[in-house]
Amino acid sequence: MAAATAVRDRAPRTVGVVPHGALRMLRVELRRNAMPWILPLIAALFWFDSYRPSTATAPLYGLRTFWNLGQGHTIIDFGPFVAGVAAWMGSRDGRRGLADLVTATARPRWATQLATWASTAIWGVGAYLIFVGVMFAMYAWQGVGGDPPWWWVADGAVAVTAFSAFGFAVGAYWPSRFAAPLATFGGFLAMAMSSQTGFGQPAGWALILPTNSNGAFTGNSDVDSGIFYHWLPDLPIARIMFLGGIALFMLGLTGVPARAGGFWLRRAAAVLAIAGAALAGTGVGLASGAQMTAHGVVISALHDAADDAPTTYTPVCGHTAGVPVCLNPAYGRYLPDVKSALAPLFAEVAGVPGAPVRAVQVAAAYNGGAGPGGGPLVMTLSGQPPVLHMSLGQVNLPGVCGFCGGPVAARPFANQLRLMIVHALVGARGSLGNPAQQAVMAALLRVAGVPFAAQPRLITATANFEAPGVKPGPATGPVYAAAGRLAALPATARHAWFAANLVALQAGRLTLKELP
Amino acid sequence: MTTAGLRRPAPGSLPAAAGRRGTAVTGLRLARLYLTSRRVPLALVLLAGLGGLLWSALHWHWGIAGGAAARQFIPLTIESGTAAVIAVTTHGPFGEPERAAGRWLPWLRLGEAVGITGVAVGLLTAGATAGVMAGGSLAILRNVGGLAGVGLLSAGVLGGAFGWAGPLAYLLITEGALAHRSTTPWIWPTRLPHDRGGAICAGLVIAAGLVLIAVRGPRESGRESGPTD
Repeated sequence: MAAATAVRDRAPRTVGVVPHGALRMLRVELRRNAMPWILPLIAALFWFDSYRPSTATAPLYGLRTFWNLGQGHTIIDFGPFVAGVAAWMGSRDGRRGLADLVTATARPRWATQLATWASTAIWGVGAYLIFVGVMFAMYAWQGVGGDPPWWWVADGAVAVTAFSAFGFAVGAYWPSRFAAPLATFGGFLAMAMSSQTGFGQPAGWALILPTNSNGAFTGNSDVDSGIFYHWLPDLPIARIMFLGGIALFMLGLTGVPARAGGFWLRRAAAVLAIAGAALAGTGVGLASGAQMTAHGVVISALHDAADDAPTTYTPVCGHTAGVPVCLNPAYGRYLPDVKSALAPLFAEVAGVPGAPVRAVQVAAAYNGGAGPGGGPLVMTLSGQPPVLHMSLGQVNLPGVCGFCGGPVAARPFANQLRLMIVHALVGARGSLGNPAQQAVMAALLRVAGVPFAAQPRLITATANFEAPGVKPGPATGPVYAAAGRLAALPATARHAWFAANLVALQAGRLTLKELP
Repeated sequence: MTTAGLRRPAPGSLPAAAGRRGTAVTGLRLARLYLTSRRVPLALVLLAGLGGLLWSALHWHWGIAGGAAARQFIPLTIESGTAAVIAVTTHGPFGEPERAAGRWLPWLRLGEAVGITGVAVGLLTAGATAGVMAGGSLAILRNVGGLAGVGLLSAGVLGGAFGWAGPLAYLLITEGALAHRSTTPWIWPTRLPHDRGGAICAGLVIAAGLVLIAVRGPRESGRESGPTD
């Protein structure tokens, strides 16, 4: 009796939202997961295919991440491998002939399967986030300008989760050693088809595809998201819904077979699968109604007006020929190049009515389209007093250029900028201008160091400038004759002529005969 | 009394001719069991399916518009898938007991790898008869041979079950090399079919893979011991 009085009731064990046993099972699965064996290979591929090519672009987040996040190479490098390992893990019990044994254990088979899948997904997604984090740390160390596209990172993480669920379902339904290569190459093929479809589909349902860079990163500007305005989260959210839906559908499917668990559990799995399919379908539907705006893709049902607020920043400024020149700090490293491009032209028209009193950088728009070639105007002159607005996000900046034939040298960059500036200065706007404006453009370019003979080639080589189907002719004829006469005047005489005629020239009122 | 100098066959043993025949039968049985344990029959079905896929792709002109990387994408993916299947057949379900008792194991591994690679080349070549494939059968021989070598090396390092990882990684690297116009012979699919450098590199890789698999076998993890597929 004395012993009986000493017995105390054990305090009831605290049970959290996730039972202790489930956490222990997850820990065991994490320890015994095959994913760490593949991670060194993925790391090498990630460096080779996602990071290395990106360093050949200008140090701006929009350009650096175009290849690896915009075109989805981080997903291509991760997803198929994760699918393969998940298939191997998902087929484990079946391959070992243990399916009946584990079905008879206390826990429902689906619960143990989910623990196995979760461990694979945790390894895969965790590694993805770490690798992308290291890549962004490298970018930060290299001084890459702008804000990282975090929503696209989340997009990639959910894509990796979807791949793990897909592979796991393949392995669970086909417990064979060949399930892993099937899931791997099937996933790879799906990604390749996604890329291919994306190249030709700038709008509509195809925007949902995780490797489609159209609309998301690609527009007339590639670079000013995260610099002048925020990365819009609308499309990434729709993609997360689509990919998350696929993951839920696949996981639900694994719980449907008779041995997965009891009636209610299997019914819950079926509901999960249906919910996943509905979520994925909703994502596709939302993407189908997406619209392109100046700052990227907008989905009205998901759009938050707060995302339209411009990014605040303190510009970096300098002076050239007495005129202030200000750029976004993300472009600060290009200020000397811009100043040297502007200097000879600003010196020609300094203090003249109609000449810019300031030059400031403005954001490039995704859906511009007013330039001579149908593309957006890079330089515009507006306001009173006039201010030169420079949309530098639309030009190939000096230095490494991943989307050009090679690095862009300082001189071609300066000459392209000068062409755009004189185009704005003479008031030509959406065309190459009237003959008088063309002559003054040619004269100013010659004064700035671009010979007449090189000017037609410069017009052809400048993006968004050459009118479609209109090739600039050789540098001869009355336009170039007038330009030659203007350029041959002494600098003071030219300055006086501009002081008297620039406003009329910009209004299109001057004819070729009225040039000196 | 000792048994020294005893020349008589042990009671119940077969005569010499019957013994040789018996050895041959045993050898065939051993090979059959080995191939079955490596799931070679299922692998042959999958390889035939890949050959059929290539046939369909060429017959119905499936293609991806774009540069060299896009044009070669479908054949190269099928060739890589073939190499992945070959690599996965190296996975052994028995582990240590087989290594301890299997005197003929290196020869069985070598024979199986050479045989299934040859069959794979034959099936893909048959599939390529449906249309015009860039490089023809010579390119198939070089690409599948080299990729199988990558798969065997991958099986040696990661384990037979993960032999598919090597061909997939090589495929990704090749697509990148084709997109960026790299032409190193170590990425042989970027070279012309008659290119000697590419052929030598592919040959070296398959030779290295065969030697590794025959001598050392695929890497085996203690975690996967026991009867697995």
